[in-house]
Amino acid sequence: MRRITIDKLEPGMILAKPLMRGTMVILGEGTQLTDAWVSRIEDMEIDHLFIEGSPEQAIPKEEALAQLDARFKHVEDQPHMKFLKKIVREHIEGLYGG
Amino acid sequence: MADNIQLQKMRAKVEGFNTLPTLPSTLRQISVMLEKPRLTMDEIARFVSNDPALTTKVLKMVNSAAYGFPGRISSVSHAIMLLGLNVIRGLLLGISVFELMQKNMAGLWEHSLACAVAARYIAQQKKMKEPEEVSICALLHDIGKAIVMLQYPSEYEQSLQEAKNRDICLYKAEKKYLAATHAEVGLWLAQKWQFPTNLVEAIGFHHQPQSANLAPLETAIVHVSDILVRARGVGFAGDSFVPAVQPAAWEMLGLSDEDIKNILIQVEETASMAGEEA
Repeated sequence: MRRITIDKLEPGMILAKPLMRGTMVILGEGTQLTDAWVSRIEDMEIDHLFIEGSPEQAIPKEEALAQLDARFKHVEDQPHMKFLKKIVREHIEGLYGG
Repeated sequence: MADNIQLQKMRAKVEGFNTLPTLPSTLRQISVMLEKPRLTMDEIARFVSNDPALTTKVLKMVNSAAYGFPGRISSVSHAIMLLGLNVIRGLLLGISVFELMQKNMAGLWEHSLACAVAARYIAQQKKMKEPEEVSICALLHDIGKAIVMLQYPSEYEQSLQEAKNRDICLYKAEKKYLAATHAEVGLWLAQKWQFPTNLVEAIGFHHQPQSANLAPLETAIVHVSDILVRARGVGFAGDSFVPAVQPAAWEMLGLSDEDIKNILIQVEETASMAGEEA
């Protein structure tokens, strides 16, 4: 799930959270947005929505992995920390599409 | 002996934090209210309902992914019934301390919220009766930092600098400039606010889970959640290192690869929402 502002909305995106107005659901979770929906949403006073897909990453992958190394540099030899680092590394790589 | 006097002085000062004139008034009122030993549901519900901004924040929080009742809770009394008094008390503190955290340490709220999400996941996995209570401990585990920064700003600034310059974790640096660490301060505050002993331990011993006598499991969960969130680098808690996990705590939880990955995904989603809880 990622949060995007309305100006970045494109047809084909899938809502990860329902579009609400007060307590009323306007479009349910899982709705795929059409051209018409996008332009109607643009007319509503909403500034963001939650859509499916992984969030855009703020920093390049190499930098994310270098920061990971830096965070673990004092504890790599401690029990369980190598294992934990390996899993976090796989998780970060997954965010950048493997 | 001198150390002991220093410690008592610091404790007295920390416990009197709500007399500070610069304190946000909601936080002051909540802190004073929670000191009452027998606070009833009605009293809390009335207090919250009298403040529309606070009501909105409480409902937003309990309906968020962190508390597992998405979009289903529409009134404060309903929230208290579902989540219990301890959770609501903790949530009120969390919400009212948010502002202080945002102002004094950018990223601390995000770190706290992500820990709350991780702790709830683990507590559910361990089939604990009150996963939300453990989650609240994780949300408040660094509350000591927010209060110490308020009362000892220059000492805290020195600790932060020391951690940065000497490449050590903040918890170690605090010991040089202050009589007590943020974890001990958190423990004092949790006692002052009449939290049950198991929750007091989980907050106070999150850096040394082996010291927990009454609540080893809750404490291990908060300890490990803190480490998982730091490992992913979500938010900022005063330094940028992952501390070593206490082996017994880690083994007690027995998390699988799959569990850790699921927690990291949830933590990722919280991070993208943290900015909204204001």
